[in-house]
Amino acid sequence: MLKKTVIVRPERCVGCMQCMIRCAEAHSRTKSLASAIREDILAKPRIHISVGPELKPFPNKCRHCEPAPCQEACMPWAIRSDIAEGLKIVDPARCIGCGMCAMACPYYVIRYHRAPDAPERPAVAVKCDGCYERVEAGGVPACVEACKTGALTFEEVNLYIKQSERRLAGAVYGVKA
Amino acid sequence: MRYVVAGLHAAGRSACAWLRKADPTAEIIGVDPAGGPLYSRPLISYVLSGEMPLEGMTVAGEDYWSRLGVTLVRERAVSLDAGRARLVLDSGRELPYDRLLLACGARPRKAQTGGEKAGELCYFRGKADLARILERVRPGGAAAVLGGGLVGFKLTMGLIKRGMSVTLLVTSPHPLSLNVDERAGAWVGEKLANAPNVTLKTSVSVTRLDDAGNGRLRLALDDGETLDVDLAAAGKGVVPETGWLADSGLALRYGVVTDGFLRSSDERVFAAGDLAEAPDAVSGAPGVNAVWPVAVEQGRVAACNMAGVRTPYAGSMAMNAIPVFGTHMVSVGAVNPRLTVGCDFEEIGDPGGKYGYLKLVFREGRLIGAAGLGAAPRLGELAFAVKRGLGRKQVPDWWFRNPKNAAPLAAPYGFIPRLAAR
Repeated sequence: MLKKTVIVRPERCVGCMQCMIRCAEAHSRTKSLASAIREDILAKPRIHISVGPELKPFPNKCRHCEPAPCQEACMPWAIRSDIAEGLKIVDPARCIGCGMCAMACPYYVIRYHRAPDAPERPAVAVKCDGCYERVEAGGVPACVEACKTGALTFEEVNLYIKQSERRLAGAVYGVKA
Repeated sequence: MRYVVAGLHAAGRSACAWLRKADPTAEIIGVDPAGGPLYSRPLISYVLSGEMPLEGMTVAGEDYWSRLGVTLVRERAVSLDAGRARLVLDSGRELPYDRLLLACGARPRKAQTGGEKAGELCYFRGKADLARILERVRPGGAAAVLGGGLVGFKLTMGLIKRGMSVTLLVTSPHPLSLNVDERAGAWVGEKLANAPNVTLKTSVSVTRLDDAGNGRLRLALDDGETLDVDLAAAGKGVVPETGWLADSGLALRYGVVTDGFLRSSDERVFAAGDLAEAPDAVSGAPGVNAVWPVAVEQGRVAACNMAGVRTPYAGSMAMNAIPVFGTHMVSVGAVNPRLTVGCDFEEIGDPGGKYGYLKLVFREGRLIGAAGLGAAPRLGELAFAVKRGLGRKQVPDWWFRNPKNAAPLAAPYGFIPRLAAR
């Protein structure tokens, strides 16, 4: 069975931006919204609600590509694939904030902010880390937990496709899924 | 199958990794005279400025090559006999290959200076150059930097941080003028002129380097002045390292001529990185974009094609980003004034302004390049818009007044005219 991944269904997104808030909270030092907003270096979201086709909201996040253009562009090898399986994670201690990864990213999901992990640097690359610590602890990514409309789900991709096929069959032939 | 990779930096390293993925049992031989652990060459400027320790440049352990199953040959390739498929090393040994990748990169372009101490001029390309400069650094001393491009600028900032007072000698009227444009260059020039320990001299070049006694150098400038310094370093760009291939039988122009699959004129020989002349993604014309991401990408594409996995190369795109006085200078695609003659330009904002400065270059209504200062938050969208050739008509006029919202750059085709109509 494949690893679970965050599946985005933009047609379900209502643009409430709860995922952004919970993402930032999950990447704060204190992990609590009430105290996170008072931290010296504010945690930033790694998922962004941008405008998609048909002027609808589109939850845009890192796809953790393979091969990853951002990783190829990274001069100090700060984007690592050895931290968590299948995820491309920025190591803020190595990031020099040069901007190459953002230019190479085909989905423009990399931003630059000050990071609590590297306070001495003016800006480092900030992007989705798949909430690997939460997942290792048995949880789901923060954005998925926050999503109330089912636009973001955490599933095994083949299982998801199977479920979609059943739904389609149900819609077309009236077969009970 | 025996693969030989000549040059083990960005392109060669990437190629070895992908050759191993594509062909787990193949024999891969890496030829590079430089020993020591694998390091990232562009980081030398961060070490010079003291932002990174020397060991911070090391990006992989000593066992990297053995884990990858690459046999190292620590020799320099001195010639190539493409007809017999033999790479000749400086010991005289001939290395036969089934597929060869040329990834020897480029060398610094020599400054046209005469004088008895012309050999004392330092360049800034790799670890050896960095060591040479660090040897000559004298805190409180004087340094001269030749060249107002990215390397010259990084050298200047690094040497200031090392406690030297630096004279930056630029041949053109503004620093960074070829990398951004005159307006941003003028802003950088003004900042440099007001920065402590920097003297900026524009429209000037060095004619001679002579001995000034006490280990110092005397620079003669073409405006008649002389300058005594402890250290002189040049950043004048790079030229592909193709001299040793002159008798190889390969087609050479500025670099090694390659087709859309990074194959040279010999079907067994491929080229990647700073010596490969490959199609440019924006203009379509063959050229060399000597930047790290392009080298790594070309290494991957060449490796796939070498291993028989047909992979067309989409074309290289120039891109650069460096920190400049608390902000970021970025450039994507065609921005060099020599390449953008006859183009339409849109200038947005101001170099010192709230949203920074952005210049968009349009050719026949399509975005072919962008450069700016302080444009970092919308860097990804900007690069994407250049890559897909965003149409001028697809950008609503309001965006030019408030470019902070990057949606018009990133949105799919067909979206913008509708938004503009609202």
